[in-house]
Amino acid sequence: MSHVRIEDVSVRIPVFEAGGLRLLRMPSFGRAKVGASNVSHAGALFVIHALSNIDLELEEGDRVCIIGHNGAGKTTLLRLVAGIYPPSSGRVEVVGKIMALLGQNLAPNPDATGYENIKLIANLYDWPKERLPEYIRDIEEFTELGEYLSLPARIYSAGMHARLSFAMATIQVPDVLLIDEGIGAGDAHFQAKARARTEEFISRAKIMIMASHASDFARTMCNKALLLANGQRVFFGDIEGGLSRYAELR
Amino acid sequence: MLQALDATTGAAMPHSGAALWLGLRTVRNLRKGLTWAWLDTVCQYRRSKIGPLWETINVLVMTLGIAVVSSAVIGGTMTDLIAYIGLGIIVWSAITSQIGEGTTAFVRNREYILSSNLSIDFYVARMSFRIAITFCHHLILYVLGVAFGLISLHWITLLAVPGILLLFINGFWAITLLALVCARFRDVELIVRNLLQLAFFVTPIFWDYRRVLTGREYIVDYNVLFYFIEIVRGPLLGEVPPLRIYAVVLAVTVIGYALAYLAYRRMRRNLAFFV
Repeated sequence: MSHVRIEDVSVRIPVFEAGGLRLLRMPSFGRAKVGASNVSHAGALFVIHALSNIDLELEEGDRVCIIGHNGAGKTTLLRLVAGIYPPSSGRVEVVGKIMALLGQNLAPNPDATGYENIKLIANLYDWPKERLPEYIRDIEEFTELGEYLSLPARIYSAGMHARLSFAMATIQVPDVLLIDEGIGAGDAHFQAKARARTEEFISRAKIMIMASHASDFARTMCNKALLLANGQRVFFGDIEGGLSRYAELR
Repeated sequence: MLQALDATTGAAMPHSGAALWLGLRTVRNLRKGLTWAWLDTVCQYRRSKIGPLWETINVLVMTLGIAVVSSAVIGGTMTDLIAYIGLGIIVWSAITSQIGEGTTAFVRNREYILSSNLSIDFYVARMSFRIAITFCHHLILYVLGVAFGLISLHWITLLAVPGILLLFINGFWAITLLALVCARFRDVELIVRNLLQLAFFVTPIFWDYRRVLTGREYIVDYNVLFYFIEIVRGPLLGEVPPLRIYAVVLAVTVIGYALAYLAYRRMRRNLAFFV
């Protein structure tokens, strides 16, 4: 059984900038409308308290949407679960194979073609060789990119990247799927397909955590919501409740 | 505890176990790094007509230029010097790429480090293999040298193979160590680049180390880079490097990997904050 358990976790991000202290003295910083307002300094460093005392427990079948203002800590939380950021305090326990789709795209080499990038990902993530042709057909069908898959990935639009990346991230069902906002770049048709694919994915009882601002998309993809504000957990529960709390917050 | 992180760093393991585990994982990941590097090279060819061969031409031009100046200033005939200098520059170009570009290995992959949980030896292996592929391009010049009779083949030539392997095995720890340190301390990259320029003149590449004045041999003896040049250049020129040279190289290999491992233990966890 895969699960995600986060106990009293804080993440403090050090900023290694020579001018950091000067920035901190600027009077406007505390009034910034975005980002965490908790900033401290330890010696010459200054530190952003990106997440404070977060508790979260997810079981199989949970599809969670993280919502909150820009800088509320959504991406930090995703990176924490992915093992990219270490917790400054508290405990993170993730059981299961993680697939993180956090940047704008999963295509590692922008100069290589779509097909080459698929093969690169296949190589990096140990897709079984004998199933590769089948996977490629699946990706062709899902992305509908056609001839574009033979062109360098650098010319793709954000939406095309979203299609290709999502297809690659979900081709092998991971136990825990992490998705950041970039996926929202896809058009309505893609979002419908993504939803269908996610449902199939969830029917195999796995966990998904995504961050999104598009409430309609969040509604169709997720069954739970986690509302963050200032790096703190404000609400965790069903998706409708979370979205309405978020609306109040605005 | 911390399973997601353990998967990428092995942080919770005891020292001895973690070192072994890391080593095994790195070896397993080498093939993936090679695939990645191969594609990088293919893409280089795609954007320019002769791709990495431009760097080979650069090596050729440097060799010819320096051989002309060297024979005029230091003495000796062009034909004698050209093989010595050419092979020196070929090895030097691999060393300088590993050290110079190694400083940027993680910073350059910032986007990918921040968005995926791949282990970081991929980035090191990718760079290491790309430099090795470029190095193989440069060896075309060696083949030309043999074809034109500037260099003769011996059985000793085969000794260059372990030399080249040692060169790149050491490059791997050097890239790892420099990439970690330079991700955290950005000034180090500039210092390293400055020192590399100096090292080109200090290391016997365009001058013969056997002609150093008596009493001043320390400028060669204490230069680690010289030993790495010599384990490749020596055999290719038909000279067996003394055992002392191999002993130094092996000692550097052990110390280097120990340093890289310590840096990894200390800095890997926070790498995402550094880049």
